Amino acid sequence: MRNRKSRFLTQFLTRKDKMAYSMSVAEAKAFLRKVREDQIRCSKKIVDIWEEVLVKNSFSLGEEVWLVYEQVCLAALDCAQLDIAEGCYQALKAQFPNSLRVRKLEGMILEAEEEYDRAMAIYEDILEKDETNAIATKRIIAILKAQNKIQDAVEKLNKYLKEHSLDTEAWLELCDMYLHELDYNKAAFCIEECILSNPHNHLYHQKLGEIKYSQCEYQEARSYFAHAAKLNPNNMRALFGLHLSATNLVSSQKGTQKTENARHAAWAAKQIKDRYKTQLGKNRSGDVKIVEDMLEALKMSSS
Amino acid sequence: MLLTMAWSVNNLFVIIGLVSLGHAAYSATQHRTYLRLTEQEFTWLPADILAQCVLSLLLTCYGIVQVSGEFKDIRAAGELENKTWETLSNRPSFYTFNHRGKALYADMEDHMQEDVS
Repeated sequence: MRNRKSRFLTQFLTRKDKMAYSMSVAEAKAFLRKVREDQIRCSKKIVDIWEEVLVKNSFSLGEEVWLVYEQVCLAALDCAQLDIAEGCYQALKAQFPNSLRVRKLEGMILEAEEEYDRAMAIYEDILEKDETNAIATKRIIAILKAQNKIQDAVEKLNKYLKEHSLDTEAWLELCDMYLHELDYNKAAFCIEECILSNPHNHLYHQKLGEIKYSQCEYQEARSYFAHAAKLNPNNMRALFGLHLSATNLVSSQKGTQKTENARHAAWAAKQIKDRYKTQLGKNRSGDVKIVEDMLEALKMSSS
Repeated sequence: MLLTMAWSVNNLFVIIGLVSLGHAAYSATQHRTYLRLTEQEFTWLPADILAQCVLSLLLTCYGIVQVSGEFKDIRAAGELENKTWETLSNRPSFYTFNHRGKALYADMEDHMQEDVS
């Protein structure tokens, strides 16, 4: 078995430049801070920036260095570069020997190596010390998800949500798990909980519209897509969804409702074409025809 | 900053208004000192000082509103519009690591050394 600490050092000493990242230390710091705030998952870039720029200048990070170590550790786990992750973990453990957050990192490193039993043992140990620790519960659910034991994960997540019912992240995770099991009713319920707590988020309305569309409830789907498009007129998926659900309703309804829905579909199609036109600009206005043809094809297949 | 700002009538209004307000305040304190010295009661400020105060206040307000530019709409979903669906649906507490990253991003040097040894 490799000695990971020594591999971390030898890699640092014998590194060949793979990617020329011409970022200054300040730019790298700012980039990592932005990624932390926006919770973007661009792990390869983080690891590259760490290797090119920051590992030699870690003293210039000041107090942020611990946050950066944690961030780089998680990014390295995504990129399967376990030696970097182990190095960051050792640094954090030396600074914060009794921290539960650092223990969680230890568990995640074991998860990345697929040693799920040992990772589970660590999380259960954390839960013994602190029963309300949400992070350990969520990691146990993530382990079950990684092992493809979706039913058990759903059970545990339901139990967690009974106590912490305002956790939007957990509701979204449960929604995705139900969608994986093709249980649309329960998935719709989960996303409705998210909408209750964030009624202005157009993406939740769009997702609920998509779930309703999958259940063939075109009327409700149309209203959710319309709401999403109202909240954010640039949401292409909502516009497409609105067009499709209105077109589906046209074929099944009669009279005034039919003309209404035809109008909605035409409006959505126009919005989509306009957005493609502005994006493509003057030089590629011929490509807009491709979009128009596609919208026509959608119309024909659903009627 | 005053020298590098682009001059416009509204900037002038703001500056004149502030200077006039300061002048009115100074006149008011001078007036009170005068009353104290002549041992008269202080009831009202003279009308001209009051008028100068109010007019300079209105001038300053008008100038600042013009200088500060157009008001932006308060959009409830303003910040969300710039974020992508992928980023908003990231759930860091539930990250799993058994994905293609192992094949795509693992260090090639490691693998080559493993094969050799």
